Amino acid sequence: MVFALTENQETLWQIANWAGLAVVIAVALLLTILVLLVHRIDKRVKNIKATLIQAEANTADAELLNTTAAGVDLVLAEGLEHHLFLGRVLGKVRS
Amino acid sequence: MSDLVLFTVIDIVLLIAGLAIYLWIVGGQLTRIATNLEECNDLVQKIGGNAASIEGNLEHVNRTGGVVAGALPLLYGMAEKIVVGATYDPETVPERGPAVPASGRRRSRLHDAIGYMPDGPGSRAHAPLADTSEPS
Repeated sequence: MVFALTENQETLWQIANWAGLAVVIAVALLLTILVLLVHRIDKRVKNIKATLIQAEANTADAELLNTTAAGVDLVLAEGLEHHLFLGRVLGKVRS
Repeated sequence: MSDLVLFTVIDIVLLIAGLAIYLWIVGGQLTRIATNLEECNDLVQKIGGNAASIEGNLEHVNRTGGVVAGALPLLYGMAEKIVVGATYDPETVPERGPAVPASGRRRSRLHDAIGYMPDGPGSRAHAPLADTSEPS
């Protein structure tokens, strides 16, 4: 069975083929842009990860603030001892 | 007509192949991004855990440090009072002039020994005493 096409139909098919090729090129262009944008996102996510690793390292010793707080408490206790001592000495010096 | 069919097939194959390749590339990139974002999520959780103890401890340190800073002037005020009270303060001694001999200048006996009287016999008196009077 042979299908015969009129000249008009062949022209329309031809146009459809060229239009399809144009669509393929347009899709390739848009997908290239998409790939580039996703690549940029990938790069920035890597930068964020590096920054977060640095931030994690920086805050890793934050637990030491506990020790610092205890040390400052000791300083305060020692200061109170000094206050008591100086109060006694001052009383004797005046008398 | 066969050319048209071939062109159409090529068109469709190009479209499908292009979509597949790009899908494969973007899929790989998105998988990598997803992995990195998961690691970022873990890191953020760790940072949050680390930072949780900062606020409370820092408030503690600031409060205690404020008390210490407020008490220090009182302490060194007391220490200064002790220093003032314990420092030896002698009474002031009046200014004295230079010491002078009580008997004035001594008479030389060398001339007497040899019988020499430079100003005559009447001058054998004692040598004049040092003048201790204040100059007018």
